[in-house]
Amino acid sequence: MQTKCGVFFESYREEARLLVGGFQKSRFAAFFLLLLASPWFLNNYHVSVLIFINIAIIAAVSLNVLTGACGQISLGHGAFVGVGAYAAAYFGFQGVPFLPGLLLAGVAAAIVGAFFGIPSLRLKGIYLAISTLAAQLILEYVFLHWDAVTGGSNGMPVDSPSIAGFAFDTDRSMFYLTLFFAVLAVLVASNVMRTRFGRAFIAIRDHYLSAEIVGVDLFRFKLLAFAFSSFMAGVAGALWAHYTMYITPEPFAITLSISYLAMIIIGGLGSVQGAVFGAIFITILPEALGYLADGLSGVFPEVSSYLLAAKEGVFGLVLVLFLIFEPEGLNHRWKLFKSYWKLYPFAH
Amino acid sequence: MFERTVKKSNVAALRAGFAAAVLAVAMLLGAGAAHAEKAVKIGVISDLSGATSAVGVPYAEGVMDAVKYLNEIGYIPGVTIEAMQVDYAYNVQQALSAYKKFKSQGMVALQGWGSGDTEALVSFVARDEIPVLSASYSAHLTDPKKAPYNFFISADYSTQLRAALKYIKEELAESDAPKLAFIYPDNPYGLAPMEAGREYARELGFEIVGEENVDLKAMDATSQLLALQKVQPEFVWVGGTTPSTAVIMKDAAKLGMKATFFTNIWGADENIFKLAPQASSGSISLQASVTYDADTEGARLIRERTGGAYQMTHFIRGFASMYVMAEAIRLAAEQGEITGPAIKDALESLRDFDPLGLTPPVSFYEDDHRPNMAVTLYRIEDGAFVDLGTQTLERKKEWLGK
Repeated sequence: MQTKCGVFFESYREEARLLVGGFQKSRFAAFFLLLLASPWFLNNYHVSVLIFINIAIIAAVSLNVLTGACGQISLGHGAFVGVGAYAAAYFGFQGVPFLPGLLLAGVAAAIVGAFFGIPSLRLKGIYLAISTLAAQLILEYVFLHWDAVTGGSNGMPVDSPSIAGFAFDTDRSMFYLTLFFAVLAVLVASNVMRTRFGRAFIAIRDHYLSAEIVGVDLFRFKLLAFAFSSFMAGVAGALWAHYTMYITPEPFAITLSISYLAMIIIGGLGSVQGAVFGAIFITILPEALGYLADGLSGVFPEVSSYLLAAKEGVFGLVLVLFLIFEPEGLNHRWKLFKSYWKLYPFAH
Repeated sequence: MFERTVKKSNVAALRAGFAAAVLAVAMLLGAGAAHAEKAVKIGVISDLSGATSAVGVPYAEGVMDAVKYLNEIGYIPGVTIEAMQVDYAYNVQQALSAYKKFKSQGMVALQGWGSGDTEALVSFVARDEIPVLSASYSAHLTDPKKAPYNFFISADYSTQLRAALKYIKEELAESDAPKLAFIYPDNPYGLAPMEAGREYARELGFEIVGEENVDLKAMDATSQLLALQKVQPEFVWVGGTTPSTAVIMKDAAKLGMKATFFTNIWGADENIFKLAPQASSGSISLQASVTYDADTEGARLIRERTGGAYQMTHFIRGFASMYVMAEAIRLAAEQGEITGPAIKDALESLRDFDPLGLTPPVSFYEDDHRPNMAVTLYRIEDGAFVDLGTQTLERKKEWLGK
């Protein structure tokens, strides 16, 4: 592990810690306390953006395990999130309480994800991408036409989550609930990456033949990656459904899958922290552009209207610029930033 | 030592002067308050840059122009409408964010837009008691049991399709079992009225000879139309948007199909005159509002305000939607405080309310949010809409929400 000068580990256990050193721990604790306090000084709008960030973090981190760590490109992640959302709605409608419903939504998405992951044994790269795109299209069709379960084109209402009689029916309570699952997802993903499963995923990504030669069961681990990733995507979908309280097929389209891919590319492929950065960046981008357009409308009305028209294009532009100028993502930029301050003022 | 003696009469005079000054200030403040306009905040979710911006922009312009007009004439005494607009680019998540933003800024009612955002907000608006007038006309939004705070000013998609079928049966059909086909996109908007349409077609004695899916982004519909040509429908319902309708019409003309095409509210607007000038001629467009050149008070007003620059029917519907909302706000203000539930109650008390002749009269009921059962039919001829009259259906209970 890369640490700053002067930090020595005396045991493997110490080396395996996620947070190293007092400063890092206290910095993280301060950030976390600020995050916990944020709903008390932010308005509902900002809290709702934080909720969407939490949900996006779960989905992006899960895709990062599949694509970033295991190298299995998925263009169907938005649909796997949709499976979780519809499963949560369906089980909720059947009277299953929130927490078991959430678990079942994850399991349903994991089964669907593993099923659509079967072609990954024979397909790689762009071919696998097309295969998962097919999964996206098939699942969209199912959402729209399986009226008895999904409500078809009319969609279906979902109740607010409730645990032991406490209803999470405000933005503030939903923030804490989604934050809990986002933190859990980050911790689980970080730890999975450090286990033999994570190492097997990375081996498959880096060179599948070598991985197989050293005893990694390709089919098993690829399916595991799909199932694990889809499980977390399903949980994200279930939280989305319970937060918005009404689901239709429209949000779970290919654009959502592309958004998640953009998150992990912009954040940094293969890094859990990168996926978190990417989720925050992509969720905030349209809101920030809206703010910018609002701010400029008083001074440059023409510019703000062009900015509005270019909003969708900006998303693509940002992605291209990241690929050209920062292919390793925001996580790399963050590392450079930290290094700069570690060495400051002796940069050379 | 300085001593000051003040006579009692001076003290009394001072007191009287002070009291007069306080009274004057109070009266001034009171008068100021009496003249101060109270602002009522509404949210406007618009698609100005997304997938539906071609129709979203004129609709949003209609809404915003109505707000301006209503404030100019002081439609609601002592109250100005403050419209907070956000371009959500037809992205559901951004619509939810915009809604939260408006809510934190004190919104009491919302002008919504498309299916995705309207449906995603159904539960939120019901919980927060924020009435919504949107441009998503799915029939299930008219059932207050499922969507208690949702309203719109146009006949829903199912009613539109039923009205077309009734018109065909009464005015155009030459046989007892006219051959009918449906073309629609396989998406929530396209599918919304189909079950109702099939059922009513069977009830009226139509023979449904075919159904085809044409995507909203289709560049070609030849294969679907070839399949339909074999079964020779006399009438074809097209439930897409203007660009896809233009593709269908042009391919149908190319294949020499003789059927009469009916298009629903988003299926043909003024852009069809440019996209398929010859091919669309003779087709029938269903609309919920008058056109820009109509001879009604509202159309005259809009012509005056826009300096004769032609505005699409979407602009007119946006204007009418805001006008109806303003009437509900006015009624709520008359009753007392302007709150979401008060506006909802006011909307539900509307009976044959005429939005300046821009749309057929609007009535909402506590248990029925269908604005009316009237659809205006226009024949497209030589690059213009020719008014064929308004088809009005019975407000049947069993059709509510379906």
